[in-house]
Amino acid sequence: MKKLLAAVFLLLLVLAAVLTLCRSRWSYAEQDREAILTPATAAHLAGTDELGRDRLVRTAGALLIGLTGATVAAAISIVVAAGFGLLAGFSPRWIAAALMFFSDGFLSLPWLFFLMMVRSLLPLTATPLTTAVTTFLVLAFLGWPAFARAIYRGALEMRGSEWMIQGRASGLTTWQLMRLHVVPQLCPLILPQFLICVPAFIMAEANLGALGLGVGEPIPSWGAMLMELDNTALLVSSHWVYLPIALLVVVLMILESFASEVKVYA
Amino acid sequence: MSLPVLRVCLTAEYGRRSVLRDVCFDLCAGDALGMVGSSGAGKTTLVMALLGLLAWRGGKASGEVLIHGRNLLSMTEREVRRLRGKFISLIPQSPMTALNPAVTLRAHFEAAWRAHESQGREALASRMKEVLEEVQLPTGDEGFLRRKPGQISVGQAQRVLIALALLHRPSILIADEPTSALDPVTQAEIVKLLQQLTRRHGVALLYISHDLVSVLQLCDRLAVLHAGTIAECVTVAQIEQARHPATLALFGSLPVPVRVLLAHAASRELATEDRCDEDLVCL
Repeated sequence: MKKLLAAVFLLLLVLAAVLTLCRSRWSYAEQDREAILTPATAAHLAGTDELGRDRLVRTAGALLIGLTGATVAAAISIVVAAGFGLLAGFSPRWIAAALMFFSDGFLSLPWLFFLMMVRSLLPLTATPLTTAVTTFLVLAFLGWPAFARAIYRGALEMRGSEWMIQGRASGLTTWQLMRLHVVPQLCPLILPQFLICVPAFIMAEANLGALGLGVGEPIPSWGAMLMELDNTALLVSSHWVYLPIALLVVVLMILESFASEVKVYA
Repeated sequence: MSLPVLRVCLTAEYGRRSVLRDVCFDLCAGDALGMVGSSGAGKTTLVMALLGLLAWRGGKASGEVLIHGRNLLSMTEREVRRLRGKFISLIPQSPMTALNPAVTLRAHFEAAWRAHESQGREALASRMKEVLEEVQLPTGDEGFLRRKPGQISVGQAQRVLIALALLHRPSILIADEPTSALDPVTQAEIVKLLQQLTRRHGVALLYISHDLVSVLQLCDRLAVLHAGTIAECVTVAQIEQARHPATLALFGSLPVPVRVLLAHAASRELATEDRCDEDLVCL
């Protein structure tokens, strides 16, 4: 019930964001030079930022980009992790050891440094879209090893389980064992990981953006919008400055409520 | 005497830890051998080794497991897979965990069928009707097969596993403590079912258990596995001549002298036969 309410609420938020983007007379990058840093007015319902861009439209954009990016990145992360974890789980021990060593190596990377490195490798002429895609891809790239470990554990459990032995004793082929036994068991193993992953990636993007390493301007993102908050002059100008961070907290709470209700099998 | 369908002489170890040493026995068609022993004697290792599955547990078996004269231990995994479920089948110990909880009963049967048969649904349907009847599960009820393992009772789950094991009419059946997870009434039913199966189809049965009572009811011979070797092997009829301390310790754990049990098992068999006769008369 709680989950359903949360889902409905999230859906409404997304719908509202889409509507705002479509129906507003302002686009996310458009500057209204007559209205720089205004509080809420009839033209700008949630005020404008330092460049005179409509805050409501930008927040809506940030919500959609953050959610989509994090979901896609989480999906990539989980698919890679599932492939890796299953491969390791069902391989001979030495291959498993090598694979898991590799994934642990990834976990030990100083990821912030790595991110900065990747971002600095991007040419300065990189389009904002490239930076957005890169940011989320890098998150996916850095995110998978933690999940691979969980899926590896699950795969080991499956491998030693009574029903797997029973399947082998019935003479099932490897392919059959995968289709009959592993795939149906995979969903409860992967889903919680995925649901934990999405809010974590949204948060990571927001943090990176606040450091200036996230999605490039003028594409709206939580991170870039949170950067505004270190400007004291701005903070006193209008309460609407807090709209993005308030919305971020709400979205994260919804997503965390999904993750908390999932039964963890592994 | 006919040629044994299964001839075993086996040594097994996990790494450097030796678990089975020169475990040797023969099994002929229609033969039922009871293998008893305390926990840790190597019963489960023996089962895994006989199915060529010890490697999955991190163990290694050497010696010979001759199935119809061919040594399973020198075959490739591909060849052994073709034997499993087709010539040698397993009835596992814990019915509730041996079926995948996420998969319907029908899917279990379909996969087990396709592992060895290319014939389609009709052949499976007619074979399934036979085995389900044999293990006294509902045959006409489609809803039953659509259920998942969590939706049936333990006794039914064990019957499903027996049906799965019988699907390809194997000549050798290994029952690994098939009654240990069941309540006494269901236990008795399953033992009776296995008894009928071995007698009717001439299946060679290796019955592994620590429940002496069911072994006496079901088996012709009794082997006592102790610390990785067969300490003693006697026929059930001459069971009172057993002398090995491990065997005597097992007998000592019984609530009544073994002689009484033997008589009881024999009388129960008679009683069931009597009842059958009466039924016939009534018909």
